[in-house]
Amino acid sequence: MSLSPRTIGAAILLLIVAALGCELRDDGETTLVLTGSSTVAPLMTEIAKRFESENPGWRIDVQAGGSSRGIADVRSGLAQIGMISRELAPDEKDLRAWAIARDGVALIVHRSNPVRALDRSQILAIYSGRVRNWREVGGRDAEITVVTKAEGRATRQVFLEYLAPLASAELHADIIIGHNAQAIQTVGGNPHAIGFVSIGAAEVDAERGTPIRLLPIDGRPASLDAVAAGEFPLTRHLNLVTRSEPGPAIEALIRFARSEQLHDLIRAQSFAPLQP
Amino acid sequence: MLERARARSGGGRFAGVVLGIAAALGLAVFVWIVGDIVGRGIGSLSWDFLRAEPLDAGRAGGIGPILVSTALILTIAIGVAAPLGLATAVFLSERLPGRSRGQRLVSTCLDVLAAVPSIAFGLFGNALFCRALGLGFSIVSGGLTLACMILPWVTRTVEQHLRSVPDAYRLGGAALALSRTTIVWRLVLPSARRGLVVGVVLGTARAAAETAALLFTSGSVMRWPTSLLDSGRTVSVHIYELSMNVPGGSDAAYGAAVVLLVALLGIQALAKWLTERWLGRGGEA
Repeated sequence: MSLSPRTIGAAILLLIVAALGCELRDDGETTLVLTGSSTVAPLMTEIAKRFESENPGWRIDVQAGGSSRGIADVRSGLAQIGMISRELAPDEKDLRAWAIARDGVALIVHRSNPVRALDRSQILAIYSGRVRNWREVGGRDAEITVVTKAEGRATRQVFLEYLAPLASAELHADIIIGHNAQAIQTVGGNPHAIGFVSIGAAEVDAERGTPIRLLPIDGRPASLDAVAAGEFPLTRHLNLVTRSEPGPAIEALIRFARSEQLHDLIRAQSFAPLQP
Repeated sequence: MLERARARSGGGRFAGVVLGIAAALGLAVFVWIVGDIVGRGIGSLSWDFLRAEPLDAGRAGGIGPILVSTALILTIAIGVAAPLGLATAVFLSERLPGRSRGQRLVSTCLDVLAAVPSIAFGLFGNALFCRALGLGFSIVSGGLTLACMILPWVTRTVEQHLRSVPDAYRLGGAALALSRTTIVWRLVLPSARRGLVVGVVLGTARAAAETAALLFTSGSVMRWPTSLLDSGRTVSVHIYELSMNVPGGSDAAYGAAVVLLVALLGIQALAKWLTERWLGRGGEA
C-alpha cells in the first residue's frame, strides 16, 4: 500500500472543500421548510413529494420533531409552516391553523380480552383509578394495567377532553409511554392492559397481526371510516400552522394539501380526509 | 505458574462458573439481538432496497438516498474530529507535563464532554450550526454536531495510545538531538497509529448509531442529497422514524437495521485489516 495517512487526509479535506465550493449556487428554486409533529410528518412528506412532482422548481423539506417545535420554528422563522397534531392553544393565537386531515383516538385492549365494549362511565372509572379489576367491567378476574400517554402528547389531550372534567393530574397510569408504537406494543404484550392510541396506527398494526382489539366508543366502531364520516367522538385535526399572513407560496402548498385530490394519499397514510 | 495457581484454588472453580455464565449471557444477548434483527429484516433486503428511493413514507422502496446522506455525514464528522482529536491528544500527552493543571483541566473537560447526552449535542448543534451560523437543517450541520460529539472519544483513545509509547523512544530521540516536533512526528505518532484507527472506528460506530443529535441538525428529509447544505436523514434516524411514527413501517425499519449492522461490522473489519496490514510495522503500541 502506497497510500500514506497524509495523502488520505488531504484527499478527504479536498473533497469537503470542493463539495462546500459547489454550495454557493442559487438555482431559483422555491424552497419551503416544514417542521413539527412527528405524527403529521410522514403524511406531509408524501404530500410534499406529490406537490414537487406536479410543480417543478419547488423544494419542500419536511422535518419531524414534535408539535411544540413546529410552533417555535414558525415563530422564529426557521420554518415557514409548522405541523401540529392538535388544535392551537389559547396562547398560540398569533398563528393560524389549517386543518389537512383528521385522526381518531381509540381505546385498545389485548385480543384475548373478553370485554367487547366499555361505556364512558366505565372508561372514566378505569382511567381515574377507581376500577382496578377487569371483573368489575364484565371481564376476567385480573388486575387492569392502565397504559397512559405522557404529558404533552396530543392523543392524551383528546382523550382528556372526552373524559372531562377529569383533570390531567387525575389521569391514572400504571405505565406511561410516549409514542403510539410503544402503546400498541405494550398492550399487545399484556393480556390485561388497556391503552389509547391513534386509530390509524392501531388499525394498521391490528391488521398486521399485533394481538390488539379496538373498542367501540359510545356505540361507534373505532375505525378510520367512522372518523371520516364524522361519527367518532374522539377525533382530532392534523393542522398546518403559519403566521397570520402567509405568503402566496405557502398558501399554494396549503391549498394543495387541503384539496380533494389528496384523499387517497391521506387514507394511505392511515388518516381520515376532512370531508368523507 | 498460572496453571498451577488456577488448579490450586478450589473456590476458583465456583468463580469460574459464575464468570462463564456471565460471559454466556453476554453472548446470548448479542446472538438474540442480531438474530432477531436479521430474521425480521432479511426479507426486505435486496439490491433495489439499497439503491432505490424510499416510497410511501419509507414503508416501501429503498434507502438509497439515506445511505448517501449517512456516508456524507459520517465523512464530515470523522474528517473534522480525527485531525482535531489527534492534535489535542498530541498536545495533551507530549506538550503538557503530566499532572499539570492545564493537563487536568483539558482532560476533565473532555471527560465531561464525553458524558454529555447526545440530545444535548443535538440542541447545541441546532442553536450553533443551524441557527447562529445559518447552515439550517443540513448534512454539514449534522456532520459538525457529530464531530463535536465524538471528539472526546477520539482524543482520549489516541491519547492513551500515545502514552503507552515507551519513554525510551522519546529519550532516545532527545539523545540524538532531535527536535521535539521530529520526535513526535517520526517516533511517537508512527508507534501510535493503531490508536488513531481505533479512535476513529469507535467514533464512527458511535456516530453511525446516533439519532437524537441528528433529529435537530441534519433533519429527516429522504430526498437524494444534491449538496451538503441539503437536509438528509441517516439510517439510524430512518429506523427511528419508521418504527415510531410510521404505522406499518417496521418491516422496512428492520431491513434498514440489517444494513446498518452489516455496515458497522464492515467498518470494524476494515479497521482490523488496516491495523494488521497497513500499520503492521510499528503498529504494536
